[in-house]
Amino acid sequence: MMPSSEEIKRRIESAIPGAEAHVEDYTGGGDHFRATVTAPAFAGRSRIEQHRLVYEVFGSEIGGPIHALSLKTQVPG
Amino acid sequence: MADAELKQKVEELIAANPVLLFMKGTPEMPRCGFSMRVVQVLDSLDVEYGAIDVLPALQPLREVTTEISDWQTFPQLYVKGELLGGADIVEEMFDSGELAEALGVEQPEAAPAAASAAAPPAQSPPLQIE
Repeated sequence: MMPSSEEIKRRIESAIPGAEAHVEDYTGGGDHFRATVTAPAFAGRSRIEQHRLVYEVFGSEIGGPIHALSLKTQVPG
Repeated sequence: MADAELKQKVEELIAANPVLLFMKGTPEMPRCGFSMRVVQVLDSLDVEYGAIDVLPALQPLREVTTEISDWQTFPQLYVKGELLGGADIVEEMFDSGELAEALGVEQPEAAPAAASAAAPPAQSPPLQIE
């Protein structure tokens, strides 16, 4: 089952409190996505920890149905 | 559950190489656009690094790095024994100069230009054959 950008956005935003996600389908093929995620929960965490928080939402779907999810994370300014 | 022997080997490699890249393919012939981007960043910083091609043992290595670093996609760049990140984090840290700092090298003068040259063209996706 191919996820949509909209579904990825919704799942990130519902899993991480206060998160705002902008997700685009990188290739139009439904398997390479780029997401920019802004969340207060990222404060005080290293980039790798911030990315882990987002990847945890999808678990083994990354590398599976979601071939690649490119990420940029930021703390709300 | 990851293979214990392989896990130990990977841990030894991470400990023995101050800068170690797990990638798909080799620095000379990367087999994935994301791996290629990290190679280009490291080359532009003129830093010495070890590179391991994960493709011959992709799934076992994925299980090992998931246990070691809670990270299951490749490429993965380890610096001084710690996972720094995959292609996104490496590029972001390169652009900001943090990567040069973490590696103890000089940031090249034309860093932003080099970064965009390192991911040509920025908007095109990695090649895929499916």
